[in-house]
Amino acid sequence: MDYFEPKTVNDTLALLAKYGDQAKMIAGGTDIMVDVKYKEEPGCLINIKKIPGLGTIQENGGSLRVGPLVTIREMETSKLVRERLPVLWESCRQFASLQIRNTATIGGNICRASPSGETLAPLLVLDAKAKLAFSDGEKTEGFNTFFQSPGKTSLGDKGMLTGIDIPYPATGSRSVYLKHAVRGAMDIAMVGVAVLITPDSAKNSLQDVRIGLGAVAPTPIRAAKSEALLRGKPLSANLIKEAAAMAASESRPISDQRSSAEYRQWIVEALTRRGLEQTWKAVTGKEVV
Amino acid sequence: MSVTINTTVNGKSVSASVEPYASLLEFLRDTLSYKGTKLCCNTGECGACTIIYNGKPINSCVTLAADASGANITTIEGLANGEKLHPVQQAFIDTGAVQCGYCTPGFIISIKSLLDRTKKPTPEDIEEAVSGNICRCTGYNKIVDAIQLAAEKL
Repeated sequence: MDYFEPKTVNDTLALLAKYGDQAKMIAGGTDIMVDVKYKEEPGCLINIKKIPGLGTIQENGGSLRVGPLVTIREMETSKLVRERLPVLWESCRQFASLQIRNTATIGGNICRASPSGETLAPLLVLDAKAKLAFSDGEKTEGFNTFFQSPGKTSLGDKGMLTGIDIPYPATGSRSVYLKHAVRGAMDIAMVGVAVLITPDSAKNSLQDVRIGLGAVAPTPIRAAKSEALLRGKPLSANLIKEAAAMAASESRPISDQRSSAEYRQWIVEALTRRGLEQTWKAVTGKEVV
Repeated sequence: MSVTINTTVNGKSVSASVEPYASLLEFLRDTLSYKGTKLCCNTGECGACTIIYNGKPINSCVTLAADASGANITTIEGLANGEKLHPVQQAFIDTGAVQCGYCTPGFIISIKSLLDRTKKPTPEDIEEAVSGNICRCTGYNKIVDAIQLAAEKL
């Protein structure tokens, strides 16, 4: 096996062009090391951790620019992330264990493209954008098209994630990330639901609503039909019930050793309902009736 | 091909070559013979291989050894001062927090790291600090007792 520690993005792209699908990129290593040991030894390991400038969190006007090498612990302990992007912060706080958070990177969680990747549903509801580098130029892409199937992204084996742009949600919005798992730590979500709502100025109805679902489809998804049902309307218990059922019907979970598909759909419904109730209460100070 | 790693383990500079795919755990145990750090799940889930890496607790089994060049590493062997055990080690003995002992080095490293961060850990701090360490003998109460005793002594 060949091993490289490129110092620039361009050097990395040149290695990808040379080795193609034989190349594996590694940063924190918490997933890749397990693959290297138990699945298949790659022809070439490209350690991107020595590339300068990819490990910072910077405020950029009304958004946050996060480098792919930023660790989950750095996200969790960032005042900017906690105050400006609480839905993403919450998912980082519930991520694996302290040891894993100290090494796992946000870029790795994204590029791994696991349907249950902890930060992915929050990134979807925040309308975050991926900065991608290819040998023929750079590209910006939303995460709604970036994730293609489990483990597959639009990077293929040719591109590299160089940054994540996360716009701040509108003033007055509220969000929540709810994870359903057996254990509090070191457990993969059976279902993860991120909800972000923005009320109108009178706090009577939903000006905007975004619902992200994790671990219940081949990629993390937005519950677009459920969002459309809610948008522009005053929130009532009946509407929440309808929207939560819609979100469950939009999910396409699999049955595996962690849970059955049917159970996952029940949980999507329950967490969507809870997420809408909690965020609405945070906005208005009142329970939904 | 192999890669040469220049790093600092328990205050000593070391230089050695390993295969590029080797984990830091393999490097510590097999190349440098620091056998106190335990190989257990080998997938980053149980915490038996926890070491302090540039001041932070990490799972050495899922860290690339080649990445450790220039790093500062503390293993369980680096805690005692000669014959005198570190207060966390002594607290584990005094409270009976060791059962089969296999998870113990990982726990002690996680707790040392916690007490380096804060002298007065809250129950939430303690829970977070050892959430990535699994004891299969099911002895968490005594481990929490040990943490509280060590915090009082430090």
